[in-house]
Amino acid sequence: MRRIGIAADFMKRFLPLCYRVFVLAVSFFLTDAASSRAAEKAAEKIVVFPSTPYDSYLIYESLVVFWLFILSLLVIIRLKLREIERIQALGVEEEDRDAPLLE
Amino acid sequence: MNYPRLKDWLDERYDWEGIKRLAKSKLIPEHRYDLWYYTGGITLFLFILQFVTGMLMSLYYVPHIDFAHKSIIEIVTKLNMGWFFRSLHHWGAQLCIAFLFIHLFGTLLLKSYRKPREMVWVSGFILLGISIFFGLSGYLLLWDESDFAATRVATGGAGAFPVIGWFIKAFLRGSMDVTGDTLLRFYAFHVAILPILTLGLIGVHILLVQYHGMSVPLSLGTEKQKEVPFFPNVFYKDLSIWLVVMGVLVTLAVLLPPEIAPKADPLAPPPENIKPEWYFLFLLQTLKLFPGEILGLNGETIAILLVACAILFFFLIPFFDKKSSRGEKSPLFTWIGVIYLLYFLTMTVVGFLS
Repeated sequence: MRRIGIAADFMKRFLPLCYRVFVLAVSFFLTDAASSRAAEKAAEKIVVFPSTPYDSYLIYESLVVFWLFILSLLVIIRLKLREIERIQALGVEEEDRDAPLLE
Repeated sequence: MNYPRLKDWLDERYDWEGIKRLAKSKLIPEHRYDLWYYTGGITLFLFILQFVTGMLMSLYYVPHIDFAHKSIIEIVTKLNMGWFFRSLHHWGAQLCIAFLFIHLFGTLLLKSYRKPREMVWVSGFILLGISIFFGLSGYLLLWDESDFAATRVATGGAGAFPVIGWFIKAFLRGSMDVTGDTLLRFYAFHVAILPILTLGLIGVHILLVQYHGMSVPLSLGTEKQKEVPFFPNVFYKDLSIWLVVMGVLVTLAVLLPPEIAPKADPLAPPPENIKPEWYFLFLLQTLKLFPGEILGLNGETIAILLVACAILFFFLIPFFDKKSSRGEKSPLFTWIGVIYLLYFLTMTVVGFLS
């Protein structure tokens, strides 16, 4: 704190007013340029996903429903496959080679 | 489900019962490595999805340097579900190439390329090359600064190839640098030339697989394997896996939609730490290993020549591996395959982290 006080005294005594104004102006413009560049960059970023909370909620909800649909289909296919394998193991589908030919 | 009239209609014209008998007579060996059979089916499914999503986007895309970037932004921000289809197309491409590599290394390590299936390997390998070119050409269509710089590097790298490099570079770019001509050329490749080649090659590849039947790994010996009919047993398993892949793809598309970088400016310096797509990272890292000059020769040219030789050897492996074509085990080529795989994975991870 003491060092800051000394620097402030130095500024008050030795630097002319116009110089202080110049330093302030330059720092203001630099800050302004940096903030506007950051704003520009943020503006450049293109929104690639619906940004409203309602739309996002709908999309995530649909994703969950889609996975439930997939899981249900997987269960149905699994059941169907098990039934097919059971019938194949019984040999019901196989052609009887000794069956008499019907005219 | 039973539709007797439809069945009769088909039977009268196309011998429907004969087709059903044929589908049921196709048998698939069942063993502990049969999971690898499904990687080909997954790739085919992803190819179909890419065609569908690509067709949808081509309805709105404008292949011109002044409008290309804008049209992509409009697809993503203004069209109903446009962001979703673009994201699906992006992630579909990543997964498709990843599964192509898995399918390739699976085929290599199980020696499924051995006699008489050499041409199945050849057609599949060309399909992988075409898919990578699909990725490269699709990458530029965004016309944003990172893709523009990556295409400049990739086409410039092709130019370092000895003797024919200048021709490849000029052919790809269509002018001295990456310009509007390159964009139009890549668009033509992406939506017309490559799809036709892909369709033809997929047809040949599937036809050859049907003709030769599924290969059984040598390590399982010569004893008779248990076989199951393709229809309905394997068909239903294929369907289940496709459903899971579809779920993963949709989840990726929703949770990680790809960003769009600012529009490309040919006069601006390239952005820092520019990286190509993940499947080119191993190539980029290999080029970085070489110094600028080796014995007075251009280091990049030597690196590209060595990589080309390694890829050519990889492509011709079925013709070098005489042991496995005689039905004997060939551990040398298993090790070669493992080395290729490890090199690819290591360099990709290093390239990703660096």
